[in-house]
Parts: sequence; C-alpha cells; structure tokens
Amino acid sequence: MTVESLLGSLFSAIGVLLPFDFAEPLFMKRAILAMLFVAPAAAAVGVPLVHFRMAFFSDAIGHSAFTGVAIGVLLGVHPLLTMVAFGLFVAWAIVLVKGRTELSPDTVIGVFFSTVIALGVAVISAQKGLTRNLQAYLYGDLLAVSEAELLWMGILLLAVFAYLLLAFNKIMLVGVHEGFAKSMGVPVRALEISFALVVALVVTTAIRAVGILLVTALLVVPAAAARNVARGAASAFWAAAVIAVASGLLGIAASYYLDTATGATVVLVAAAFFVVTALGREIIRR
Amino acid sequence: MTLPAHHHTLEIRNLSARAGGTEILSGIDADIRCGEVTALVGPNGAGKTTLLLAILGLVPCTGEIRFCRAAEHGEGVPRIGYVPQRLDFDRNAPMTVQDFFALSSQRYPVVFGHSARSRRSARESMARVGAGHLISRPLGKLSGGELQRVLLALALRDNPDILLLDEPVSGVDLSGEELFGDFLGQIHSESRFSLLLVSHDLSVVSRHADRVICLNRRIVCQGATTETLTPENIAAMYGSDAHLFRHGPADGHGHVHAPPAAGRDEGKRD
Repeated sequence: MTVESLLGSLFSAIGVLLPFDFAEPLFMKRAILAMLFVAPAAAAVGVPLVHFRMAFFSDAIGHSAFTGVAIGVLLGVHPLLTMVAFGLFVAWAIVLVKGRTELSPDTVIGVFFSTVIALGVAVISAQKGLTRNLQAYLYGDLLAVSEAELLWMGILLLAVFAYLLLAFNKIMLVGVHEGFAKSMGVPVRALEISFALVVALVVTTAIRAVGILLVTALLVVPAAAARNVARGAASAFWAAAVIAVASGLLGIAASYYLDTATGATVVLVAAAFFVVTALGREIIRR
Repeated sequence: MTLPAHHHTLEIRNLSARAGGTEILSGIDADIRCGEVTALVGPNGAGKTTLLLAILGLVPCTGEIRFCRAAEHGEGVPRIGYVPQRLDFDRNAPMTVQDFFALSSQRYPVVFGHSARSRRSARESMARVGAGHLISRPLGKLSGGELQRVLLALALRDNPDILLLDEPVSGVDLSGEELFGDFLGQIHSESRFSLLLVSHDLSVVSRHADRVICLNRRIVCQGATTETLTPENIAAMYGSDAHLFRHGPADGHGHVHAPPAAGRDEGKRD
C-alpha cells in the first residue's frame, strides 16, 4: 500500500514537472521514473568504472544476461531475478580467476564473455519460443517496466549511493595504484570484489532499460562525456550524473515522438553529449 | 668495537614468494633497522619490487614478516609509507593533486568537496617536498618528477614508521640523487623513519645508505654499506662485467656504477 502510494505521488510529481504530451500516459511515467532511478546509478558507478578501465568487464556482465534470462525461463522464475543473480556470480568468478592467474584481465574477461554468451545461446536455442522473450532483454523494454521492477530500481539507486558514500574515495585510490592504496590502509581485495558486485547489480538492472547490447553505454558514456568538461573529481561525478539524467529524459521524449526504440534513443542522446563536449573541449584548447 | 643495540623495524624470516610457477624470492632473511637508510640493490628481475609488495602484503608469500615498533613511537601497527616506481593510472582521469590527497584523508566522498583538514594537510605536505604550487594541477598532467614528489609528500604525510621507496629508473623522473639532495635527506634527518630504498644507482646507495641488502632472488649479502658494496659482491650480483669506477676523495664513498642493463625495464614486476 505505502509503496503504491509512494509510486503514485512520484508519478504525479513527474506529471507536474514534465507537463508534456510524452509524459502523460502511465506507461511513460513509469518509464521516466525507471530512467530517473537507473541512469544516475549507472553514471555514478560509471565514473570509477572508467577510472578503473573496466568497460569490458561491464560488457561481459551485460552479456551474462543471455544465460541469466535462459536459466530463469528454464526454472520458471522471473528472469530478472536469475539475470541479477547470474550477473553477480559471473562478476565474482571473474574477480576470483583474475586474482589467481598470470593472464591479463582482458583475456580472463574475454573467456568469460564468450562462455556466458555461448551458454545462453545454447540454452535458448534448445527452448523453442524463448527467442521472442529474449528481444526485450536484447534491446531493453523500458515502456513495459512493472511496478515491482520500479521498486527494485529505486532500492538499487539508494544502495548504490550508500555504497559509494562509504567506498568512493577508496575505490578511486585503488584505481591509481593498488600497492599505494594498500599502504594507505585500503582493503584492496575487499573493495575490488564489492565494486565488481555493485557494477553487476547496476548492469543487470539497467538491462531492463536499455538492453544487453547497450547497457555498458549507460555506465560509460556519461562518465566519458563528463571527462571532457571536468577537471577535478567532484565536477566529473556531478557532470556524469547530470548528463545521464538529461540523456534519459531527452531520449525518452525523443523516442516517443520519433517512434524509435527507447533504450537506443537514450544512448544516442548520451553519445551526442559526448560529441558536443569533446568538440567544445577542442575549441577551448585552441 | 661494540655496535649499539639496534631496534629493528622490520624482521623478515625465511620469506619466499612464487609467481606463475617460478620462485621469485627464496629464503629471504633480512632486518631493517630503525631510523636507518637501507638500500635494496640487485639486478633486473632480482625480486626487489616483489619484496616491497610482500612487505605491503600484496603478493602471496611464505615465511614471516614481523613489524616491530620502538616504544617511543607509540603502540600499534607501524605505519608504512610506499612510493611506487611508477603509477600505471589513467592520465586523463579528472583528478587534481588536492583530490588525490583528499581520497585518503577524509571520510566523505571527494565529490562533495574537500574537508578543511584535507586541504591543510595537502598544503603542508606538498610544501614539505617543495611542490606547493602543484596542488590544484590535474594528477595526470604532472611530469614524472612532479608525480614522484606528490607520491612522496603523500607517503610522508602520516609520518610513517617505515618508508618503502621504489626508485624509478628512467631519466625523466627525479633520480635518487636529486631526491636526497632536494629534500629527502633533510626530511629523513628530521623524522628518522626507517627508509627501505630500492635503488639502481650504486653511487646514490654508497653515499646515502647506512646498510645494503644485495638481492638476487635470494640474499647475496647484506651489511654496512662500506663493507657490503665491495667489487667482489657487486660482481657476484651483477655478473663479472659490472663496470666499477672508483674515484673522488678517499673517503670510502667512491662512485660505483652497476652495468647499464641492470636498470632497464625494471617496472613490470622484477
């Protein structure tokens, strides 16, 4: 009851703040709220992710959703649950293997990347009728987000910010140099694992919004665009958050009027922010 | 002659470390004495950086590393300062020197700004190494020498009991000689922390180190600098083609140069 009334008041707030055609239908209000939950969480995690050069890791987790969804359908559980759980498992496994081998992180992630796709495709191809189900996960299905999923996204946003409140400084320090961070008393391994798990949570949740193929963009592109305008850590973080929210809202609006896929349009707007800020940076430098 | 009883800051006993099936360090026994400058020298791939990482607890190893803390330094675990040879970080990262200091001196995320305390400690620490003007510069835009000053300033900020300093090889960074001449010698004589210096420049070692540990996957020899850096030991460590030059005043501090090959490509994991 309270959850429903909370969501209800958030919907009416959106109606007041965005008095436009596109924000009128309830499914659009849901989509907007979902994006307002997911985009800042993705961008906030994206800033340290880019710092760590972990874009490929995030992509591997995204593609683990193939298997995650397939498992869910096989077991008759909601695919979102198995997708998140399997994403967490893969993230944990990658960190574990990376720490125990001489292979480069790229190679380890590459092995996992292809394995989870292959596993997912194998399971899906054996189950007729599953391919239709998969479309929503490949390209995202923001307009069909349920209220339960909205609630989950809201909780995720709070959890991500709580985590970053505690760990942001330490994560950035590890990103500069592990040994140096360790000498400063940072628990390096614990942070690596916890950050990988948080990334996995955000990635698998954001798949509902923009899909497996584009989910890394939601983390990486706002952070990359923010780098074009920011000099210090604070401005980079807030610029990424603002660019993510702006891309989300503008993308949803544009997709409504142009009748394009929502997730793809959101990512295109974010990419446009990147291009404009990169050009602006070049012009200022001259 | 009786030597004064030295306090050890660090006692390493039978330490061995492996990576990828090969033994990088085996049966290391060494003591780092309180307040002294101990140089760690050895050829390329001798395991010098690995030993520092083992002390930091960053590489798996067997054996014992005991930290001892002199009573006058107070209770608790000794603080270790560490200056890595080089930082392999993203040079485009939006992070100023002030941000870098704040990361380890304030609880709340730097995205909410810098605390007054972290500003003050950054200013003081940077002034100490003669680099106060760098404080608002982006970390990735600093030269090798400037970055090294920042790392040293940060490592010295919390008054470490032990400073692990991995001297860079390449000519673009500050050489050990410049570091000591500029500020490190003075700071060390004021604060008397134990300094473990990985060095590739035997003339720096002979001039500034109290003791030397010669390492080549195992301990080749160790002891007081003048007694340890003998032509025989250097030849045993670097091979017989080591170029040895002895010149300058006859004060026992001659210039001894390791062969040039000893200093190259040290960075990855020797």
